[in-house]
Amino acid sequence: MFDLFLQGFGVVLSPHVLLLICAGVGVGIVFGAVPGLTAVMAIALCLPMTYGLGPAAGLSLLIALFVGATSGGLISAILLRIPGTPSSIATTFDGGPMMEKGEGAKALGLGIVFSFIGTILSILALVFIAPSLAQVALAFGPHEYFAIAVFSLTLIATLSSGSMVKGIFAGVAGFAISTVGIAPVDAIPRFTFGKVELNGGFNILTVLVGMFAIAEVIKVAETARRAASDATVAPKVGRIKGFGFSRAEFVHQLPNAFRSSIIGVAIGILPGIGAGTSNIISYIAAKKRSKTPHMFGKGAPEGVVASETANNAGIGGAMIPLLTLGIPGDAVTAILLGGLMIHGIQPGPMLFLTQAPLVYTIFAALVVAAFVMLAMEFWGLRIFIRLLSIPKHLLLPVILVLCAIGAFGLASRVFDVWTILAFGILGYGFVKAGIPTAPFIIGFILGPMAETSFRRGLQLSRGDYMGFVQNPIAATFLGLALISIIWQLTNEYRASRRTPPDALDFREP
Amino acid sequence: MRTKRIVVALLMLVAGIGYMAMAMALPGREGVDAATVPKALAWMMIGLGVLELVGAVRLVPVDDGPRVSVGGMATVLVTLILIAGFIAALRPLGFPIAAASFLFLQFIVLTPGDRRPNYPFYAALAVGTTTLIFVTFRYGFDLLLPAGLLSAWIN
Repeated sequence: MFDLFLQGFGVVLSPHVLLLICAGVGVGIVFGAVPGLTAVMAIALCLPMTYGLGPAAGLSLLIALFVGATSGGLISAILLRIPGTPSSIATTFDGGPMMEKGEGAKALGLGIVFSFIGTILSILALVFIAPSLAQVALAFGPHEYFAIAVFSLTLIATLSSGSMVKGIFAGVAGFAISTVGIAPVDAIPRFTFGKVELNGGFNILTVLVGMFAIAEVIKVAETARRAASDATVAPKVGRIKGFGFSRAEFVHQLPNAFRSSIIGVAIGILPGIGAGTSNIISYIAAKKRSKTPHMFGKGAPEGVVASETANNAGIGGAMIPLLTLGIPGDAVTAILLGGLMIHGIQPGPMLFLTQAPLVYTIFAALVVAAFVMLAMEFWGLRIFIRLLSIPKHLLLPVILVLCAIGAFGLASRVFDVWTILAFGILGYGFVKAGIPTAPFIIGFILGPMAETSFRRGLQLSRGDYMGFVQNPIAATFLGLALISIIWQLTNEYRASRRTPPDALDFREP
Repeated sequence: MRTKRIVVALLMLVAGIGYMAMAMALPGREGVDAATVPKALAWMMIGLGVLELVGAVRLVPVDDGPRVSVGGMATVLVTLILIAGFIAALRPLGFPIAAASFLFLQFIVLTPGDRRPNYPFYAALAVGTTTLIFVTFRYGFDLLLPAGLLSAWIN
């Protein structure tokens, strides 16, 4: 194995491939940072460029794009409070408030370093435990997936800071929006109003860009004319030393990072969930384990660390079923699968035997891309901060145009651009009504998995609902879901008894 | 605040009822079908709407706090119109003209009240940014953005 690794590094560190990795990471960071442009788009757009390259160089480029784009989302999530990609949703929760408190450099530094750590830990998981983990994931059926989805959905309540009713409503509404399109199992069109474009449902990118980026532009428009509201001067961040945080702070975050990595890798392995969910789940886990959970949402560094470690840990996690079983877990790995096949490589259990040098070249490319990402983002840290000196009235319209391109690029349809506007108005409505957006996104992402697994599970158990509780893994997750609900309700009840009636009327952020 | 919460609760309720009406219209069959999950979600939305409404009605009225200014809402409305106009013009006018026009107008609309819009700068910035974006995506990434009126020159 060591020899194969050395061989892989020998290929990856050749000037030609190293240059491609640097370019890939750079382009990936830009795609991740700009709302509306994602890792999927970066890899899809660059895939044709790999035709002329050899397998090692081509795959190194694609992997560099994947690593750069996954991490790049933290930049806009922290600086603008707009997640560049679905994997950075939870980064906005505390990254934005840290920015407002003048701790932007620290938030960016933590995000960058722990993105790197998450990537490296997931590569270790990929190298050492990939085959056995993939076998466990392969044993999961509809019953297990349904139970996992239900358990994850029950965690929505934790994100419902302020009003639990509104938070749960947002989650249910997100689930409801995900039912638009062809229904699973029956293949009946639902809520499409005869529009062919709606048959496939709404794309996660259009929902995300609309709910966060467009809604943010509209929000800024509301106060833009007031001179004082225009942030034309970058916040004083002082002289940034290193990554902007101390060694003690780094050490303090390590248990959180380790836990978030495990969550990121575990969720990354499961097909269909991915980094869009793992960053929120690990954020919730960090909040539950924290001694100061009340600080979450107000600028807690733990929140940024949890989100950014988990989403990058998903990289290695997602590569596990791809390389060992040939199963792409999400859209990014599906395109990567296409990239492998373009070069005549068939992923699967035999890959490690027949193409071992190439597999270890991929591992080496991941490691090198992670280091290049760390270096590029470290040097870019000062430039990112300077971005804030661009007046918002000039920056946000440009971002909106880029969002429109991102939506249009999904399928070359103007319909998708209209969709981001529709979700932008909905997102703005949520802000005005004090309804949290994050549970909506969770409901939208997990809804289809929950429904499809529920229907398929019922089919498997011939309509018997007991199938869901007779399966040990499914029963465990459903039990955890029940405990989670009871725990949340108990907390809510205790909080309402402690709070005087006239104080129940809160003002939400 | 109490009035606002009642309005929000009513909107939640209306959304639930509307979704239920659409779910009921779906073709159904015996047992679990394509309408089962939407109906369950609709019931939950209605239930949560009722809960929120009850909570809002029982609330002790307090000061509403700062309200959004009429001017602020006017800017929001103009922004929405500009975005809609930009999207509508994407195909007929093409990305370069639609985006440059949108950027120029949106820069003006969002300019803080205490400043005078710098028209030449805004125009140059709008055209420059649009050109950079268009060239990068069209020729760098092979993304066929609509060229519209300029298709004779660009293609």
